[in-house]
Amino acid sequence: MIKPEIVSQLQKITGKEGVLTAKEDLNAYSYDGTTTWTHMPDVVVLPTTTEQISRVLKLANENKVPVTTRGAGTNVSGGSIPIKGGIVLCTVKMNKILDINKTNLTATVEPGVVLQNFNTALAKEGLFYPPDPQSFLGCTMGGTVAENAGGPYCVKYGVTKQYLLGLEVVLANGYVMKVGGVTVKNRTGYELVMLFTGSEGTLAVITKITVRLLPMPAASKTMMAVFDDMIAGGQAVSNIIGSGVVPAKSAFVDNFVIRRIEQMTPMGLPLDANALMLLMDDGNPAAVETDTQQIVDILKKSGAKEVKIAKDADEAAAYWKMRSAGFAAVFGAAHTVLAEDVAVPRDKLAEFIKKLGEISERTGFFIQYLGHAGDGNLHPSIFTDIRKEDEFARAQAAMGEIFRAALSLGGVLSGEHGIGLEKQRFLKEAMDPVALDLMKKIKGILDPNNILNPGKIWEEEGA
Amino acid sequence: MVAKTKYDEIKKFEGDLEQCMKCGFCTFWCPVYQEEWVESSVARGKNMMIRGLLAGDLEYTKEFAARLNKCTLCMACTANCPAKANIPNIIVAARADTVKARGVKFPYNIVYRCVLPRRTLFGNIVRFASWFQGVFLPRTEGTIRHLAMFLSALGKGRNIPQIAPKFLRQIVPVVNRPPAGVETRMKVGYFTGCMTDFVFPELGEHIIDFLTRNGVEVVVPKEQGCCGAPAFLGAGDFDTGRKLADTNIKAFEDVDYIVSDCATCTSSLKDYAKYLADTPERKEAYARFGEKVYDISQFLVDVLKLPASAYRAAPEVKGKKVTWHDPCHLVRHLGIKDQPRQIIKSIPDVEYVEMPNADRCCGMAGTFSVYYYDLSKKIADKKVESIRSTGADIVVSSCPGCEIQLIDSTIRNKLPVKVMHIMELLQ
Ligand SMILES: Cc1cc2nc3c(=O)[nH]c(=O)nc-3n(C[C@H](O)[C@H](O)[C@H](O)COP(=O)(O)OP(=O)(O)OC[C@H]3O[C@@H](n4cnc5c(N)ncnc54)[C@H](O)[C@@H]3O)c2cc1C
Ligand code: SF4
Ligand code: SF4
Repeated sequence: MIKPEIVSQLQKITGKEGVLTAKEDLNAYSYDGTTTWTHMPDVVVLPTTTEQISRVLKLANENKVPVTTRGAGTNVSGGSIPIKGGIVLCTVKMNKILDINKTNLTATVEPGVVLQNFNTALAKEGLFYPPDPQSFLGCTMGGTVAENAGGPYCVKYGVTKQYLLGLEVVLANGYVMKVGGVTVKNRTGYELVMLFTGSEGTLAVITKITVRLLPMPAASKTMMAVFDDMIAGGQAVSNIIGSGVVPAKSAFVDNFVIRRIEQMTPMGLPLDANALMLLMDDGNPAAVETDTQQIVDILKKSGAKEVKIAKDADEAAAYWKMRSAGFAAVFGAAHTVLAEDVAVPRDKLAEFIKKLGEISERTGFFIQYLGHAGDGNLHPSIFTDIRKEDEFARAQAAMGEIFRAALSLGGVLSGEHGIGLEKQRFLKEAMDPVALDLMKKIKGILDPNNILNPGKIWEEEGA
Repeated sequence: MVAKTKYDEIKKFEGDLEQCMKCGFCTFWCPVYQEEWVESSVARGKNMMIRGLLAGDLEYTKEFAARLNKCTLCMACTANCPAKANIPNIIVAARADTVKARGVKFPYNIVYRCVLPRRTLFGNIVRFASWFQGVFLPRTEGTIRHLAMFLSALGKGRNIPQIAPKFLRQIVPVVNRPPAGVETRMKVGYFTGCMTDFVFPELGEHIIDFLTRNGVEVVVPKEQGCCGAPAFLGAGDFDTGRKLADTNIKAFEDVDYIVSDCATCTSSLKDYAKYLADTPERKEAYARFGEKVYDISQFLVDVLKLPASAYRAAPEVKGKKVTWHDPCHLVRHLGIKDQPRQIIKSIPDVEYVEMPNADRCCGMAGTFSVYYYDLSKKIADKKVESIRSTGADIVVSSCPGCEIQLIDSTIRNKLPVKVMHIMELLQ
């Protein structure tokens, strides 16, 4: 339990309205998007300025109180769960867009800005920020940096890290540090911006973010292809990329998701399709026309039963909405959903899907999957119930097999969701031991008292 | 002694409770969260608090209720929820379970249990009980003129219309036939609702006049009561809700259609089956009753199927620019969106402009705005900015509750628009 004098000092820093201690409130900051993890903080702090964050961290550091930074709590890895109690530092009230510079093609935002609000502001200026985690209606910019998030657009445009130019961060001792800048080129020392990107709140609190922007592409086309076979679908993606066209976005859902979506929000999807693939091409209108034709041809040659081109922006939007609803379809499907987030090299996708089939047969668990496909990132999920000890243990073992299958193909443990709590038991297998040790040393330098999001990413010694 | 709460009502909606997968999309749509930015204000947080209640981690304390009740039941969360989790259902059910266990508190117990179900008494109290304010209202800045009872509670320094000198029920007969020369096409019951009855009787007269001129015989049963929304939705008092439901069902026994000019009443009447049915007989009766209930715009467009020429501008709105505010109870609770727009667009002498975020909650939500007036004002201010951006002369809606909120907030923000009920546009 936290000492009452610390709570009253926190209140002095942020004002009473910025500190929550009622049990009901603590309960409301005890979870994230996972179905497996919850833990109550001792206190929730909602700062409104960098200076307040600096004072909160100084206080916490002196008293060795854990601080878990939270944006919108939409991560699906246990990242924002205060597993050691202490303070949840929630950034959502720091939600100002500080600058949009149309001529430098950059923007600077506070960490609590919700991605969708940022996109709306940019759209008014004809600008475009590609990283598009499908939680865009909730997730904060700070959360996307700390998770290095990326969505369907990453096939062509990459993920958050490809857009970061500068950060302001508050270190564990309260020092406010600037790294990077507002220039596209910057070769001043180590790439410290990258150090904090994907750091999952364990190295510092991010308080200002400068990103580079693109002009909004003039045209785009969305296609939907139906496959009898997931493996053929996976191969089609490789074929398209191999042909020299890189679609802007791609996404992938299986028969289970198609049925669930039709059950929840009917939109006329073919219920008998084994796999549905969504693709988008964008750029200048003439190029989009020829690319689209080429993609359609390859899809058909690769075995697509049916290919539809969305007739207008509304229809395209409906298709993509289906993709974001897909997540809900999966997560609401069982008491406990274990969702992998593995990524394999794009040309190994078909092979990986085949292996998933074998694992499913061997373990007896139905494996559902949706994913981005074009980037090799898939979310195979297993439905289970954490209350049934035996089954849950077997489900976890099956997850291990999936991850190892990805690894054997040159893949990685997490494509986008991060390690948090959910995936730490696999980390040792997924990383060079020296690299893992280096991470721990970096953490030790930046946060010697281990107050920043303790208990995350790697398993604790002796655990 | 506090009886042990059993959560039977919540359990009826366990599906919704389990369905939420904590994606946080609702944070984007929730009008309360968008002002407060704390997790307990949004559907995801409320749902998790209720899960905590069932798990025994939390209790239904004052603190709990204060957070749970910070909700306008606008359904924006549900409408945009990828998992289609209906959290407002659980919120109402949780209120009901507490009431079951502990009863309703003074003075609400008197109001809900004794006053609301008795229409005449209610009318008299509305007229005479201005001093009641002191008991009923939390202290506020500003003064309240003219109004009593819960209307005055809604008042709390708001700019609101006066109580009418004569109530609708005292003005119009029970049976209103089409004028001579107009053929009677059908017979409908008119559910007047408290606001139209006590505050806007001219609106009621106008509606009866419009319907009869279009071949509808309008019955206004004297026995009808309050729809029950403040009691069963607002306070979780399902017993009173059932009393009112049974009364209203009896009052409208003889008609096939029931029309209402108030979105909240319409959806509450239809909600009897969902929340209040405690026996198979009631379930059936409430469902049958609910099917007969129509919002006035929906009735004109979908049932009466009036031709566009039937919609002519009232003299004072001719040449004006009009925008529409979607009441939550209409657009999301009932899915009625196109019918009112179709009507306004059919009127030849007015110009229709769509406002941005027309379906965003105005922040009224009955008792919500009594307890959380400051919050309610902030939500309303966003609505006012939407209205302002259209340059409209008139903002119309079809919920007297919304109208009171719009009148208050446009005056407060010095926006010179007129607030009207959609039926007032029509000649
Ligand atoms: C339906 C759904 C779809 C999703 N789709 C995608 C997807 O397509 N791609 C993808 O990459 N992810 C996806 N996610 C995961 C998640 O939304 C992202 O990781 C997102 O970036 C998290 O943002 P947040 O604001 O919610 O952060 P939180 O969940 O609050 O926090 C995430 C982590 O970041 C840390 N953190 C947050 N803010 C800061 C800060 N200011 N400074 C330092 N550390 C901080 C936290 O400590 C925590 O470790 C999805 C999640 C859901 C529920
Ligand atoms: S209520 Fe719906 S939108 Fe909100 S968190 Fe739950 S599933 Fe997501
Ligand atoms: S009903 Fe409206 S106010 Fe209540 S939680 Fe849902 S969105 Fe928020």
